[in-house]
Amino acid sequence: MEPSNDVALDIIITNVVAVFRTRCHLNLRTIALEGVNVIYKPEYGKVLMKLRKPRITASIWSSGKIICTGATSEDEAKQGARRLARTLQKLGFKVRFSEFKVVNVLAVCSMPFAIRLIDFTKNNRPISYEPELHPAVFSTGSLTITGPNVQAVATAVEHIYPMLLECQKPLRK
Amino acid sequence: MVGTAPFPCRTTDYLFLTQCEGWISQNAVYFNHVWLAIMYHFLQTGIHRVRALCRILRLTFLMEETAETHFKQAYEHPNFIRVSLQKKEVLAGCCVLATCRQHSWPIAMGTICCLLEANPRLIGVVYQEMVKTLKIEAPPTSIINLLETHCQAYKLSPQHVHEELSESSKDLTKRAAVLLELAADAWLVTGRQPIPILTASIFLAWQSLKPTQTRLKYTLARFCQMAKVTKSSIAPKRVTELKEVLCKLGQELPWLRGDEVTPQTVIQMVDDILNHRLTLLRRALSSHEEALASESVLPPSLEDSIPGSHTNTTCLEGAVSSQTPGQTPKDPFVGEPDTVSVQQQGDVDLTCTVVMEGLPHTGPGTDSQHSQPSVPNSGKRSLFEPPSVRYAKIRRVLVPVVEVTGDEEISDSEIDSYIRTPQEIRDYVEAKEALASSDDEF
Repeated sequence: MEPSNDVALDIIITNVVAVFRTRCHLNLRTIALEGVNVIYKPEYGKVLMKLRKPRITASIWSSGKIICTGATSEDEAKQGARRLARTLQKLGFKVRFSEFKVVNVLAVCSMPFAIRLIDFTKNNRPISYEPELHPAVFSTGSLTITGPNVQAVATAVEHIYPMLLECQKPLRK
Repeated sequence: MVGTAPFPCRTTDYLFLTQCEGWISQNAVYFNHVWLAIMYHFLQTGIHRVRALCRILRLTFLMEETAETHFKQAYEHPNFIRVSLQKKEVLAGCCVLATCRQHSWPIAMGTICCLLEANPRLIGVVYQEMVKTLKIEAPPTSIINLLETHCQAYKLSPQHVHEELSESSKDLTKRAAVLLELAADAWLVTGRQPIPILTASIFLAWQSLKPTQTRLKYTLARFCQMAKVTKSSIAPKRVTELKEVLCKLGQELPWLRGDEVTPQTVIQMVDDILNHRLTLLRRALSSHEEALASESVLPPSLEDSIPGSHTNTTCLEGAVSSQTPGQTPKDPFVGEPDTVSVQQQGDVDLTCTVVMEGLPHTGPGTDSQHSQPSVPNSGKRSLFEPPSVRYAKIRRVLVPVVEVTGDEEISDSEIDSYIRTPQEIRDYVEAKEALASSDDEF
């Protein structure tokens, strides 16, 4: 079996991490008291707030910095961040939604062939193969990819696909 | 601290800050010296740590010098000069690890983790950063090279254990090496942590070298305790997986005449299985293909319409003598051991072939999730497959999602669901006070 050059690869975005600022001080106790789906973590100086739609979790610091995780697209992350900012406004804080930025995108992609991991790392320096750490590339052909945005992740897959193709398990002749 | 206050503050505070700034700038040289002295102290501490690690691992003088050089270069680099003390401690171990790899000295990252009592993730991060910063090439150690070093840690000589349980390191290493090759052929090694599979191979090698009842009754935990090594929580799973592979091959031994081989009885046959490994592999693959062919007997019209249904037989032509399903005679069992190991022959093409065919075909216009609905599950098509393929992941169900732009209008009603009503707040405060007072009573 020789994979076609036009093979369609499923890239599934599993997590998008975004940050934004409220440009005002936030009283964490007030948020913990008056907010629903809130977990107060005084030992870390932050509050966790979970939204149902979209399904995201926000870490809120009193400085006004907020990190949102759990979205499956950049637009969803922005939608969740805005809803969170509106919720904080309703709690009485003078929130101004600013400096929104997607900082990390985690995706999973599965290649349609198995991979010789050791050959792949030997032929493609400076890629390293450390089985004692998280491999990121699995011999079954699955990859996990992280990048600053979705476009970077897609570009990374396009870049790495031909390198993996060379190291697929060959057919016996 | 700047000439003009960057933030609103009282005049007196501003004057105080300006005076501090003046004092610090006058004493800048002093502070610089203090900082340099502190850095030099930590550098010396780090070098001592590198030397200590080298002596524990009994590295050569040349390797010790190389590790020290790496440490000094990394420590003084801007990427590491301001990192935390914890990372600087770990940096010493990473330099030793890189040096060992450069000199082909077999050592696992886990060994460094144990010696430094550090988090493996932290070691991984620092190691990769260090290799990138210093631009050095440190090829990873192959698992076979790690085996001999790992075996030597097992205290199984007659001085340490009873004679019945003792085993020479040389025999143990030799047997474990063959088991490890078999594990690698069966996709049990690639992409996995090396220590658990090494432990499993050594344990099964020890049991199979003298498969007496005494040894067979030993569990992995007890074996590790006896040999004075740390037991890994993952090693029992590797033992089970390796035994499954041995059972599949043991089933093909002709003198068993169809008797079932179980994980409990396979250890006595390990010697024969390993001696005839290649032949047994071929026979096992051939039997598996026959079994699949007899299970899924399709009408000729359907066979032609399903892509890939003929390709299995074509691919195994190199592996078995004849390929017609249901009419495949087994290879004659020569009875002589396979003297050439798989690695020397140039690799594990038998299992590779089967794995390739086991994967779903993906091509333009083909939906990989819906192709070949009547062909058996890919996990059943092949005898030896990676566990991730055998236990296929549950495909994510694509729920139709409404297009999201991120700038939609937000209605008040959905935000109100995240805010407590005044009554709920009162109830919550009362409940909290009641809990606090009941805790005080206790």
